[in-house]
Amino acid sequence: MTAKQKRKIARIVTGTLNTLFKVFVGFLFLFPFYWMAITSVKPYLETLQFPPTLWPKNFTWSGYQTVFRELNIWMYIKNTIIVTGSVMVIQIFVDVPAAYAFARWKFKGSGILWLLVMAAFMVPGQLTFIAIYFMFADWGILNSLLPQILPSGASAFAIFLLRQNFKQIPEELIESARLDNASEWKIMWRLMIPMSKATVVTTLLFSFIGHWNAYFWPLVMTRDEKLKPITLAIERLKDMERGLDYTVIMAGNIILVLPVVVLFLLFSKKIIQAMAYRGMK
Amino acid sequence: MTLKSKKEEAGGKKKKGLRSFLSNKLPPYIMVAPAIIFFLLFTVYPIVDMIILSFYEWNVIQPRKWVGLWNYKYLFDIQIDFKIALQNTIVYTVSEVFFLILFALIFSVWLQKDSKVNAVLQRIMFFPHLCAMLAVSVMFSWLMDENGLFNMVLSFFHLPGLRWLNSSSTAMMSVVIVSVWKSIGYQTLILLSALKTIPADIYEAAALDNTGPVRKFFCITIPLLSPQLFFMLITITMSSFKVFDSVRMLTKGGPGKSTVVLVYYIWSYAQSNLKYGVAAAAGVVLLVILLILTFFYFRILDKKVHYQ
Amino acid sequence: MGKIVLKNICKNFGEVKVLENLDLTIEDGTFTVLVGSSGCGKTTLLRIIAGIGPATSGEIYLNDEEISDVAPGRRNIAMVFQNYAIYPNMTVKGNIEFGLKNNHVPKAERERLISEIAESVGLTELLKRKPSALSGGQRQRVALARAMVKKPEVFLMDEPLSNLDAKLRIQMRSELIELHKRLKTTFVYVTHDQVEAMSMADKIVLMEKGVIQQQGSPEEIYRNPSNVFTAQFIGTPAMNILKLPNGCHMGFRPEKALMSETAPYENCAYRTQGQVLTREMLGSETLYKVMVAHVDGSSQPVMVKMTEETIAEDRSVRIAVPEKDLYFFDREEARIRKEEKPGQYEECLRCLREVRT
Repeated sequence: MTAKQKRKIARIVTGTLNTLFKVFVGFLFLFPFYWMAITSVKPYLETLQFPPTLWPKNFTWSGYQTVFRELNIWMYIKNTIIVTGSVMVIQIFVDVPAAYAFARWKFKGSGILWLLVMAAFMVPGQLTFIAIYFMFADWGILNSLLPQILPSGASAFAIFLLRQNFKQIPEELIESARLDNASEWKIMWRLMIPMSKATVVTTLLFSFIGHWNAYFWPLVMTRDEKLKPITLAIERLKDMERGLDYTVIMAGNIILVLPVVVLFLLFSKKIIQAMAYRGMK
Repeated sequence: MTLKSKKEEAGGKKKKGLRSFLSNKLPPYIMVAPAIIFFLLFTVYPIVDMIILSFYEWNVIQPRKWVGLWNYKYLFDIQIDFKIALQNTIVYTVSEVFFLILFALIFSVWLQKDSKVNAVLQRIMFFPHLCAMLAVSVMFSWLMDENGLFNMVLSFFHLPGLRWLNSSSTAMMSVVIVSVWKSIGYQTLILLSALKTIPADIYEAAALDNTGPVRKFFCITIPLLSPQLFFMLITITMSSFKVFDSVRMLTKGGPGKSTVVLVYYIWSYAQSNLKYGVAAAAGVVLLVILLILTFFYFRILDKKVHYQ
Repeated sequence: MGKIVLKNICKNFGEVKVLENLDLTIEDGTFTVLVGSSGCGKTTLLRIIAGIGPATSGEIYLNDEEISDVAPGRRNIAMVFQNYAIYPNMTVKGNIEFGLKNNHVPKAERERLISEIAESVGLTELLKRKPSALSGGQRQRVALARAMVKKPEVFLMDEPLSNLDAKLRIQMRSELIELHKRLKTTFVYVTHDQVEAMSMADKIVLMEKGVIQQQGSPEEIYRNPSNVFTAQFIGTPAMNILKLPNGCHMGFRPEKALMSETAPYENCAYRTQGQVLTREMLGSETLYKVMVAHVDGSSQPVMVKMTEETIAEDRSVRIAVPEKDLYFFDREEARIRKEEKPGQYEECLRCLREVRT
């Protein structure tokens, strides 16, 4: 065998091993989701079987039926959607102007105000929840969805991301718009936002995913069952009277994960870019 | 010039000043005002209130009572549960930092080449990061069940099963496994995009110098990634000190107090013990830790800017 | 109507004073070109007129009305930017329409104006396109159309041709001249290119270090420079400047010098001998670099531009300049004109004569 042939064989062997190992790693990350999906359609008794079946022998939708019928899941989904939607709307109207001002205007005190934004970026809800809870109690709004909405009204991360984007827009364009007698408001909505569409969409996406998955904040802010979001409802599936019914639990979790899966399949490129940026900064 | 006309001129200047103030100076303040109000209400006020509260005893029902540093004494002197929480948090943080950076390095170098398989695998690995912790915890509580899949795999290799989340000696490790699994894709992604910023010609020069892959990794990749790695070290540390969701969902702090972490401690003192002063004092400790980390965070951020 | 008067304009960027007590009048209907090297303050001045980079102090009048604190959009001034500043998210039509909409021009009127303007700059077919699908020249036209549609009293242009290739630039240059003739409004045009300035301007304002060095018609600036800076800035190659024994300076344009191997040039005020160093054939003209023996005894290189190309390198030559083509400047590099300072002028002439004898 010549040296060239040897090298070729070595290359093929390492290449195959490499791919096989990649498939294995992919399996490690996909399997739990697969398991969740198939368990959600297995009948109760089959979920208890040992060793477990890798493909359901009998299909059943009873898990989903239980979640929708007995749990009144729609109410929780509605709460989550109202919270998420309101947060996204408020964020647009609060974060975009702030980011524009920080990116494009020099003004006295901008340094100290920017520091405030950074502080908000660093301080987690885990430190603020006590004071905010009692503040809302004083305001008398604990029996509404507002406690879940208002604290996320301004997102330091969104301001950060948008500001970075606005900074890249050439100054000439803004000057030109001012010569065209456009108000600052108009410059923001007709120029800055359309030109930063990708970033706006990304921040909204993050907002959505963050609030759809929100756990800690609703946990500490809600007492009333009627105000709880989907996560807290799904969590309670583990504590139902009938004991651990994995069919129902997994069905609930599939419902929880599904919207995020769909969004990820649609926007994975954008999400990944923004996430990488967030990590690099 | 008469006095009157001078006065008029001064008046005219003032009017002009106001007009230019309204059009040149005011807009940015109006634009940032809403955001600033939100931050003042939901960041600054709560933090100030927490610091004040940490010097009081309060259980909601009775009015606040000044106790000075007693709450801090309670944390560090009287009870040991806070020290346990701190210790657990540190163990959790160190393991997170170590395993995340290690695996992120391995995976990012391994999946660096632009190919279809790598792109797909990166996405698969990344997805758990977006997925609700709740779903992840449900999956892993099943996998880590004593009759679950992990033990089945262990027995297949004739190894003794573990009690995973149900034993105080393995619970913390299990929580770490879950969160590493969840966010390794994200960390890998960050390193991958950092790797992309390393100029290709450096690697080409190394290839011409007949540099082996191991040498290439330790002598080129790691040094060139070092600002990014340090940055990761800080961000992972910060997020690890804030960990709550996974602990609450997987172990509820147990068994015993083996997985009680700082935030869990704060939460339980506020939620169940109604000792708000103690919770606030613990919050202040966490705040100080985060502030120190933030300081380093910005130091590196500045350096990176100078670097470019 | 579009007469601009700037009074006492100062502009500081932090500590740096870019413009200091600058006065300038731009007459209605002129094509005024602000020219100077980069950093001379010409763009700053333009932005002050537009209102997008307000002056630190000073007053601006448009048709005798003070506009210093009027918002840029309400000054009835249009500007064409160096990089065109076309809104990338709007179509060509949207770009032209944006300003009209902001000024609440009714829809029918807008449509009429847009089609009229598009027709006149040749954009009719492109109205629905996005800017990303346009060539450099087409973008330039969009920027122009956008400025024109507002029917402003003043057009400001900040190096609008600098991003075009050479051929297109020359074409656009003549189009702009035509446009000015047609519109008869005031054009204020900023460039660093003296050829552009000479070819387009009615009036050139030459700036350096925030100070206006000279203003006048291209011809005036070329023929009658007031100082060494102007003399050297306009014309290629630059005017030859040589020091005189009395500390003053003498200058002549390369294209005005006479040179041959034999002719004695009896009637010329300046005569000297030299040796050809290099020769550049430019086509219709030839450029020589000649080392000459100067009046103070040193040797200095000068440039000579001639239509003949017969003289070879290394040849000894005679160079001469008639008195009418000689310029004298004093120690501060300001021009010594015969009619203003006859004494100094004569003294300089005498310096030349002394040496010759």
